[in-house]
Amino acid sequence: MGSRGYSLHPYFKKMPDIGKELTRVNKKNEEEIKNVEAEVAKEVERVKNFGKATDKMNEKGEWDAWQRIEYLVDPGTWCPLHTIFDPADNEEGQTGVIDGLGRINGRWAVIIASNNKVMAGAWLSGQAENILRVTDMAKMLHLPLVWILNCSGVKLMEQEAVYANRRGGGTTFFRHAELQKLGIPIIVGIWGTNPAGGGYHAISPTILLAHKDSNMAVGGGGIVGGMNPKGYFDEEAAEQLIEATRKYKAVPPGRVEIHYNGTGFMRSVFDTEAELLDEIKRYMKILPAYDPEFFRVAEPAEPKFPIDDLYSIVPFNQKRTYSMTEVLARLFDNSEHLEFRPDYGPEMYCGLAKIDGFLCGFIANNQGLLGADYPKYADYQGIGGKLYREGLIKMNEFVTLCGRDRIPIIWIQDTTGIDVGDLAELAELLGLGQSLIYSIEQSEIPMISIVLRKGSAAAHYILGGPQANNNNVFTLGTATTEIYVMHGETAAAASYSRRLVKDKDAGKPLDSTIAKMNEMVQQYFDKSRPIFCAKKGLVDEIVNMNMLRKYCQAFVGAYYQNPKSICAIHQMITPRIIKG
Amino acid sequence: MAELTSPIAGKILEVNVSVGQTVTEDDELFIIEAMKMENPVYGDAGTVKEIKVKVGDQVEEGDVLAIIE
Repeated sequence: MGSRGYSLHPYFKKMPDIGKELTRVNKKNEEEIKNVEAEVAKEVERVKNFGKATDKMNEKGEWDAWQRIEYLVDPGTWCPLHTIFDPADNEEGQTGVIDGLGRINGRWAVIIASNNKVMAGAWLSGQAENILRVTDMAKMLHLPLVWILNCSGVKLMEQEAVYANRRGGGTTFFRHAELQKLGIPIIVGIWGTNPAGGGYHAISPTILLAHKDSNMAVGGGGIVGGMNPKGYFDEEAAEQLIEATRKYKAVPPGRVEIHYNGTGFMRSVFDTEAELLDEIKRYMKILPAYDPEFFRVAEPAEPKFPIDDLYSIVPFNQKRTYSMTEVLARLFDNSEHLEFRPDYGPEMYCGLAKIDGFLCGFIANNQGLLGADYPKYADYQGIGGKLYREGLIKMNEFVTLCGRDRIPIIWIQDTTGIDVGDLAELAELLGLGQSLIYSIEQSEIPMISIVLRKGSAAAHYILGGPQANNNNVFTLGTATTEIYVMHGETAAAASYSRRLVKDKDAGKPLDSTIAKMNEMVQQYFDKSRPIFCAKKGLVDEIVNMNMLRKYCQAFVGAYYQNPKSICAIHQMITPRIIKG
Repeated sequence: MAELTSPIAGKILEVNVSVGQTVTEDDELFIIEAMKMENPVYGDAGTVKEIKVKVGDQVEEGDVLAIIE
């Protein structure tokens, strides 16, 4: 006998409703969004298809990295990140690693694989930055890191870009050490030849599981030596090299017989791809993790309204306003919420919702008109997307409270910036913006941000943007994302208005300056598109509108698996302050 | 009879209703360009009796846009 339930059920079992049914499907808007999503999908396919042909690899019994991830990860849970990240514009069109969040045998992990289709998984430009973002994710979420390793080391033709430097290829090994110091295990499955940099990738994790044909070593075995170096190559040197190479039989050092039978660095060895991946799954099962029931406040529930409604709700036309409330209603469990201070700071939504039964804080830019008397400090009307005094104060409060209550936060940005001018300065907006940054830093809780449409000016930073390196786990973009310091026309006006005046006063034609201004407008446009943002890492992934809730579920589920600090649900103050 | 007034000063970008049309609270009756954004204007449910503006008109906050019964 007895009765099982959830803590503080008067607050969380049934929360107030949010949103209403979509009255009209906007087919044109949906088409425009899906066209961009299709372009992104094409880029993803280009990355996936680059390099060795998968079927040729399979004929030799080798799987490619995507096949390994697909086998490893629980179906339907894979949330890829950095798929088209390529900050250095590599000829390979990628950084050479594949990563994301996924569940393995029921447990969330941060997962990263060497792309063994491309230069046998070598270090390419930008890869170090990619890896450091991934180790940061594991650190912030306090989540196991799983490596699917197949790394041939430095791409020798580009060593100056990948080998050294403060945030270069070697930094990963210090980060692995740091993760372990923090109690976060790293499990590595080792495939192929892993010399030098690859060797350190292999040795720096916690548990080493190997394929029978793999090796890991301080140095590679493929370098022909023994000739007298002249400082250059000529015909004579080339002929010597040809003769030496013909005689040379490369036996890679650090094979299984050395590091399994000899040193014991490799804990276990397996004959097939599947067996090795199965062992990683087994290890994930034996790691400590809270059962989701421990932190849930209610049964998981799908939103009342379909996620595909977002294709009609979020306008592709950036000038068109819309209801952020309706967006949130498509993300929250059962489309319910507890809104924090709804009558204060109307430009910002702050509230608690459930994602898969777990509590999560949401902060989002409301859109549209805010009412005649807002902001109070000015005689002009406010508009959603901009930040004003009350909204900044409200966010500071909410972030601080979520920090106290250990509630993770998801930020949804669509912002044109913070209000400007002397009235805004007197209203302390500069200080309040930095105060929000301090509140975020002080909270020590993981967050993600979704740049739903515009991310611009300092608002993009302070609204939990990727610049919050110690809190922002990852940042998503969508087909309607655009990120720039300001709109191109504003930038062109700022840059060229004095020149226009000079030209006009001198009686010169304005054509060439006008042409430069339009060039700038076009440049701003081109360098703020979703694909550009993902390639440069301004966002960590562009996801389809109907995948947004899936990433929210992954983030929240991952957060509650092994939180570094906890607050008893019945000791939380945020819901009490909301209810009053 | 209810006067639908403009919530903001701006330019009429779209007129999405006609006289005699039955409208709901969720219908975007007008789009007003203001503060660099295109803002939909909604009204009460009813029948449109009169439309007081056309595309391109400049309106002030409080100007009557339409009469809805």
